[in-house]
Amino acid sequence: MEHGANVLFSIGPLEVTSAVTTMWAIIAVLTLLSWLATRSLKEVPGPLQSAAEIAIEKLRGYYEELLGREHARKYFPIFATFFIYIIVCNYSGLLPGAGHLKGFALPTASLSVTAGLATVAFFTTHVIGVRERGLKHYFLSFAQPLYLCFLMLPLNLIEQFVRPASLALRLFGNMYGEETVTEKLYEIFPIGVPLIMNVLSLLFCLLQAMVFTMLLSIYVSEAVEEE
Amino acid sequence: MASGTIALAAALALALTAAATAIGQGITASKAMDAIARQPEAAGSIRGALVISLALMEALTIYGMLIAFMLIGKI
Repeated sequence: MEHGANVLFSIGPLEVTSAVTTMWAIIAVLTLLSWLATRSLKEVPGPLQSAAEIAIEKLRGYYEELLGREHARKYFPIFATFFIYIIVCNYSGLLPGAGHLKGFALPTASLSVTAGLATVAFFTTHVIGVRERGLKHYFLSFAQPLYLCFLMLPLNLIEQFVRPASLALRLFGNMYGEETVTEKLYEIFPIGVPLIMNVLSLLFCLLQAMVFTMLLSIYVSEAVEEE
Repeated sequence: MASGTIALAAALALALTAAATAIGQGITASKAMDAIARQPEAAGSIRGALVISLALMEALTIYGMLIAFMLIGKI
């Protein structure tokens, strides 16, 4: 919920808010970390490389369970990107100073960010669907069974467009709500009490990243499945 | 008058959604516990489905909370 108050500066018509600068920082940190981890790949990995390997292995196992081996291998990069990016964004809100310092705010507590993520997720689903099943086949699947197509087509289309909206609202609502509740608790009693909410946030941040990517992979597996 | 009504509406928006979601989540969790007790070897996949369905229900409360925050902003 930004009302132009926390615009830092603007590039042409684009207004750069604290959320945007935080995302730039996150992108830079993630890029640097992955560059450091893969700079000199060794047979016997060092600490950073083995940490990265364990994380990627776990993520891959998680998606193979959801999507099946073949599709999970093929589209792993986009799912892993979504997961890692969202989870780092969520956890960035727990760092001291988030939301108070200029140019540092929880990115996923802004509807524009989550709507952007959901838009990418929407196109991901349909591009993968068309690639796997062909244009005609994929779009005909929205009108199945054919004798009920006048009923099923509008229903399916509405569902397709509600999905990104619910993805965006869920992530935004959870993160924004958490932040607001912590803030209100701080106003009521500043010592110790907001900590309870912060501990819960540790769990919820992970859960929201998991739910976002799990729903995305369910949508994708629906898009690629053959009847 | 108007701000009082808005405050009441905000409270109801959160309270009703939270109550309904709590009932739904309680039923879901108890069924999942039953299922795990009956088939401990399937605990992993049951837990996954449980987390997803709880999160989907949680979203409804979050929508209510968003509306409540918006209404509070109007007072």
